[in-house]
Amino acid sequence: MTAVVLDGIVLGLAFGLLGVGMTLVYGLGGVLNLAYGQMVVLAAIVVMLVMEDDVATFLAALAGVLAVAGVAVLLDLTLMRAVYREHGEERTLLGLLLTLGVAFVIAGLLTWRYPSGALYIFIGGDPVSILGVPMARGSIWASVIALLVAAVLLLFFGLTTFGRGVRSIIQDETGARLVGINPSFVRTVIFALSGALAGIVAITQSMSGPLTVNAGFELTTFALIVTVVGGLGSVAGAFLAGVLLGVVNTLSAHYIGQYITTIILLGAAALTILIRPRGLLGR
Amino acid sequence: MLEVAGLAAGYLGESVIDEIDIEVRTGEAVAIVGSNGAGKTTLFRTIAGLLPAMRGRVVLDGKELTRRPAHRIARLGIAYVPAERHLFPAMTLKSNLVLGAYPKRPDRATLELVYDLFPRLKERQRQQAGTLSGGEQQMLAVGRALMARPRLLMLDEPTTGLAPKIAQIAFEALEGLKQEGMTLLIAEQQVPLALSVADRGYVLENGRIRLSGTSEELDQNPEVRRAYLGVV
Repeated sequence: MTAVVLDGIVLGLAFGLLGVGMTLVYGLGGVLNLAYGQMVVLAAIVVMLVMEDDVATFLAALAGVLAVAGVAVLLDLTLMRAVYREHGEERTLLGLLLTLGVAFVIAGLLTWRYPSGALYIFIGGDPVSILGVPMARGSIWASVIALLVAAVLLLFFGLTTFGRGVRSIIQDETGARLVGINPSFVRTVIFALSGALAGIVAITQSMSGPLTVNAGFELTTFALIVTVVGGLGSVAGAFLAGVLLGVVNTLSAHYIGQYITTIILLGAAALTILIRPRGLLGR
Repeated sequence: MLEVAGLAAGYLGESVIDEIDIEVRTGEAVAIVGSNGAGKTTLFRTIAGLLPAMRGRVVLDGKELTRRPAHRIARLGIAYVPAERHLFPAMTLKSNLVLGAYPKRPDRATLELVYDLFPRLKERQRQQAGTLSGGEQQMLAVGRALMARPRLLMLDEPTTGLAPKIAQIAFEALEGLKQEGMTLLIAEQQVPLALSVADRGYVLENGRIRLSGTSEELDQNPEVRRAYLGVV
């Protein structure tokens, strides 16, 4: 039982890290980035290619993170500008369609060029015993990175002037403009941040097993679920929802079967929309 | 200080206000009065950059503001307090004030000035803005606008949703701001209240300036008395 819950927390932190990049963008402008999983895969392939040249893993990881942050800036300045010009339902729909298009383009290009591409960052060493349960070092590293990212993001949004500005847009965009905040600049920065987070997800996901070129749509699905359950735009909500869903996932896999887990998670998201549409910590 | 010339604006290609000429001089309090739907809010939103101008221009201290985005206009010195206030409800009162100074860190003197003006805000600085009463929210909206040390403070219907007694107190606070040299542009349906604090006023009707003059002139004007002061 302890082992199952610990596995759930490890998985949950990964979910949280995955969801936070999507939830921030959604909270800021109402756009659900359906290309998010593909951005993770893109980062993984970039890291894989750089590592083939015998570059240190850390530098390769950094290259992957920066590359996808750059792609995100590019997307924001082109396609997303068109999306943000619309309002309400039009914006939501156009955002879904365009990011879905981007998802297909990235997925198509990557599977065509690197049909068997995969990133696996092997972390050696014996398992470490936590509460009497042996845990793989890769999982521990991934969880530590996720926790660090969560801490940095919470401090950033809680204490810095820019972070406060981001939250103000999520709460009242007109109010934010009236105090002198430029929402489109902030959106560009946050979209770049979400790209960088996608890069970090690629790194952590590939520490406990290979992240393959076709993992994108599954990652997007999980990010969506975390966004819905956690509440839009909430960093703490994404991680809380991630851990809850992670534990639910491993428990149901253990007691019922692996086949049921995705259905249960989607059910949790649907239930959240019915009972608490603003999510755990959203407003 | 503020010059509005031949301004027209509206929604979906239809102008709501047109041929608006107004002027506000440094240190003055100017009222825009008119009934509901006369175009006061449209005028303010256009000056603040929330709504694009269709024609005409807005100039602040010789700087053209027309067609600049709202956040630029805010940073150039116009603080606009809309009737809906647009506070950040899930943040503390203090955070709302701090954001008023964005992108700078708020300086202590300005914060103290706001707290002196509205002691109520100091008592409740840790409270979430969304949980404040209507009057407190209005004080916070004005306080947040003051944090940027604006050149011009624009208030749209500052007494909306306030009990008459609280509305009176709100206007006393505005009188205090004026004494300290703040330049004010106030839109108000409650004409007597508006004229009590303003030096001059403009009467807006169906999107056009119908009359203008000093507060005494408007107060004595038979048309104004009949239409807005309830005098037969």
